[in-house]
Amino acid sequence: MAVDQSKAWQKLDALAKSGAADKHLKTWFEQDPNRAQRYAIELDELFLDYSKNRIDDEILTALFELAQQQALPDWIDRLISGEEVNDTEGRPALHTVLRAGTDASIKGFAASVQADVKDQFTKMTAIVNKVRAGHWRGYSGKPITDVVNIGVGGSDLGPLMVTQALQTQTSPINLHFISSIDGTQTSNLLKGLNQETTLFVLASKSFTTIDTLSNAETAKDWLEERIPSLNTIMAQHFIGVSTKPDMMSEWGIPPENQLLFWDWVGGRYSLWASIGFPIALKVGMDGFFDMLAGANLMDQHFAQAPLEQNIPVVMGLIDVWHINFLGIQAKAILPYDARLRYLPAYLEQLVMESNGKSVNRQGETVNYKTCPILWGEVGPNAQHAFYQLLHQGTQAVMSDFIAPVERDDFDRYSETHKNESLRYQHRLALANCFAQSRVLMLGDAAIPDNLKSSFDSAFKHYAGNQPSNTLLLKSISAKTLGMLVALYEHKTFVESVMWEINPFDQWGVELGKLIAKDTYQAMLDAQQADRFDGSTAQLLNRVKMS
Amino acid sequence: MKISVFGCELTGLVTAGALAHAGNDVMALPVGQVKVEDLVAGRLPREEPGLDALLAQQYQEGRLQFEADWQDGLAHADVLILSTPSWRLDRAEALIELIGETVERDVLVVNQSTFPVGTADRFEQRLLDAFAKRKLAINVAVVAMPDFISEGSALDNFMRPDRIVLGCRQPGSIKIMRDLLRPFNRMTDQIKVMSTRAAEYTKYAVNALLATRISLVNELANNAEHFDIDFEEVRQGLGSDSRIGFSYLYPGCGFGGPSFAADVRSLVGDLQTKGYDADLLRTVLSNNEIQKEVLFRKAWRFFDTDLRGLKIGVWGLSFKPNTSTVENAPSLKALEAFAAQGAQIKAYDPKAMEDFAASWQGAQPIELVDTMYEAIEGVDALVILTEWKLFWNPDYAVMKQKMRQPIIFDGRNIFDPDIMKQQGFRYFGVGRGEEI
Repeated sequence: MAVDQSKAWQKLDALAKSGAADKHLKTWFEQDPNRAQRYAIELDELFLDYSKNRIDDEILTALFELAQQQALPDWIDRLISGEEVNDTEGRPALHTVLRAGTDASIKGFAASVQADVKDQFTKMTAIVNKVRAGHWRGYSGKPITDVVNIGVGGSDLGPLMVTQALQTQTSPINLHFISSIDGTQTSNLLKGLNQETTLFVLASKSFTTIDTLSNAETAKDWLEERIPSLNTIMAQHFIGVSTKPDMMSEWGIPPENQLLFWDWVGGRYSLWASIGFPIALKVGMDGFFDMLAGANLMDQHFAQAPLEQNIPVVMGLIDVWHINFLGIQAKAILPYDARLRYLPAYLEQLVMESNGKSVNRQGETVNYKTCPILWGEVGPNAQHAFYQLLHQGTQAVMSDFIAPVERDDFDRYSETHKNESLRYQHRLALANCFAQSRVLMLGDAAIPDNLKSSFDSAFKHYAGNQPSNTLLLKSISAKTLGMLVALYEHKTFVESVMWEINPFDQWGVELGKLIAKDTYQAMLDAQQADRFDGSTAQLLNRVKMS
Repeated sequence: MKISVFGCELTGLVTAGALAHAGNDVMALPVGQVKVEDLVAGRLPREEPGLDALLAQQYQEGRLQFEADWQDGLAHADVLILSTPSWRLDRAEALIELIGETVERDVLVVNQSTFPVGTADRFEQRLLDAFAKRKLAINVAVVAMPDFISEGSALDNFMRPDRIVLGCRQPGSIKIMRDLLRPFNRMTDQIKVMSTRAAEYTKYAVNALLATRISLVNELANNAEHFDIDFEEVRQGLGSDSRIGFSYLYPGCGFGGPSFAADVRSLVGDLQTKGYDADLLRTVLSNNEIQKEVLFRKAWRFFDTDLRGLKIGVWGLSFKPNTSTVENAPSLKALEAFAAQGAQIKAYDPKAMEDFAASWQGAQPIELVDTMYEAIEGVDALVILTEWKLFWNPDYAVMKQKMRQPIIFDGRNIFDPDIMKQQGFRYFGVGRGEEI
């Protein structure tokens, strides 16, 4: 029986239809003054206020019934112990074991890989320390100063997002990221770098990703302009990160420069494994392990907290309510700190590559909505862009506001003008964050009485009733980032369990890659364009003409 | 004259010894870690040729005494000489405060320490304010007399100076200083009188100019290698130009020492605090740090980027000959680079091994041996970092017999490339020898 036919689902559907779907958030707050205190959960340095969602106790109870009906606690256990929850590819999804350290309570297949994980972290530690201490040398003997991560998707977004988020921490190494297949990032970046002091990290789970390998070839050509010995290029200027040691060796990377991970780590979960190498270069292995510890804190919470107090569970279920019973199809990620600028892009992959599916685990087409369109932007910037649509458009949108309570990049006790200005800016950002979620919730009701007259126009009408979560982090640190990312991973998993889909495969990205190869061949041979549809043939012919 | 010298590091001790030697009644008082009982017993904080004998003699003859209590020093003298390391400004401030609180008669303070430009003026104003507050009509002057002494030749530098820079505007003070320095200013008048700020800045400027010259020579020498040129020949051509001259024209594996680079760095820092930049000097400093690894880079390329398990012998650890100091010495940085690549290191230095052992922070311990020949037993290469005279004419036959591979990386160019080749060595200097 499909989940939408189930008892718990039907109950939720009935609740929505019997008035809950039409009730305005404003009303809920008016009727229940203690709502905010009740709908909040704190875990260590993370605080969630979920009161601005279109829910009440009755709806939440029904959602927890749905979770029980879908055997969520059992699924969580299966995930963490390493059962083959990725059934279409026949493997577990064990990102949690990467951050469990030597935890003895780990069981099942997960326990069997702990030693491998430890070995790779030991190897990674040695390399990271050597590079950060200035003892990893380029061909001429100068210390490496610049590290370029070549990777795409999961081999790019995680390290890019986290290193940007931790930009206030000083690092002895300048980090750069190139991902796009077109080569413009690469050629542009290489102009500013020196072969003597540049190290490339070739990061690819499968080691077949054409985007990454083509960028790596360009990097190798650039090194060969100065370095006659290919052995030296490979020994001193490339580090490989992959699940495929044989293919790395074949490409020329010596075993001592290979960092491994395993097929039971999904690409979009690989920042916790050696794909996180650039993160460790940025903040040191201590910082990297802090990030893992933060994630582990969230894992423990996810595995142990009762559903009602379980942050990923609560957030996941509320989104399921919004999506499947209130018809909301869009989700905005709105961090109120520019350091989190790549978080939306990171979550776009994590969430949409995981749950952007329309077939359940049995291979049957589902009759209900799954993953919404997720996008986002640094909140204060987005206020000058798409917030217009949030406030007055025709789309219902659920949002996650994310902000640090403290900032670590200025001295809170210093009285200099610059500190005073930065303090002022931080308060200003938080004030905007709180104001926007309030207006989205209340609409016109947020307008103070003395200003009501100036909003007396259809064009100045705010409907409100747009739901949101607010996540406050104590500060932006390796630890809180670990907590935050693990939270979204688990929330995404919770939703997949409700929808009965496998969140760990990504068959949808394969066909395009395959067809690109064929299309590339056609580009080399003028006669072949005719094999394609009219539009593609026309485009191919345009390129040939130039 | 009755004189108190505050500060018993190298400059303070040399000043105290030389002034006592000239017949003055001198009291020397430590401001930092140095202990009076060590000084009395002849245990000096730094080894310096001739200094221990001079101090012992002056002490025995009663013209030099060591005391710990600053009050004794203030009571003893009319001329107070301040001679602390540049990083002990806090102690100097404390002393000025004490002078302002306790002194009751005319006082002349002579500052030899390298403090930021304007410090002497500021000290003088502090004393004037302190005496005014105590309603005392006392003559006060703070004179700047930057020290230009170098380790290894410090006594000679003080007693037969090239010039004495005296920052002072009060005729009375100039007169006292001229009288005090008369024994060291005989043949021609070497005293250059200028404003205190100019005197303070002169000290920085001299170091900045010398550091820049060394770094530029190093860069020219490094590049000469790429054109297959022996930089020694170029050095002759350069030095014979009267506008350039021969001093500070030797390329090498970088400069070090406790104050040279530090002074340039603090000048850059002071300027930055004021919102100005010193691009060239910052480059000079960073180039010098890179130059300290020049021999490592040669070995790295020679051994094809793999130094694991190689045995490296080292001659010389001190930042220059005739000193026991390794502070900021190229040896620390260069050997750390070798050690981090897994090379095994044996080193010999005539005086600096103790200081080196205390300062070493490399990846693995370094074996310190008793003789220069022990240091090259079974090694794959010899690395020369300090040009102690002892190393200039070794027994080549013994060397070749002891070394596993006859390879020499010479950071001070003490050998002749042709002779070394003839003797069967692979020889790599800075700007001369074989190119890699």
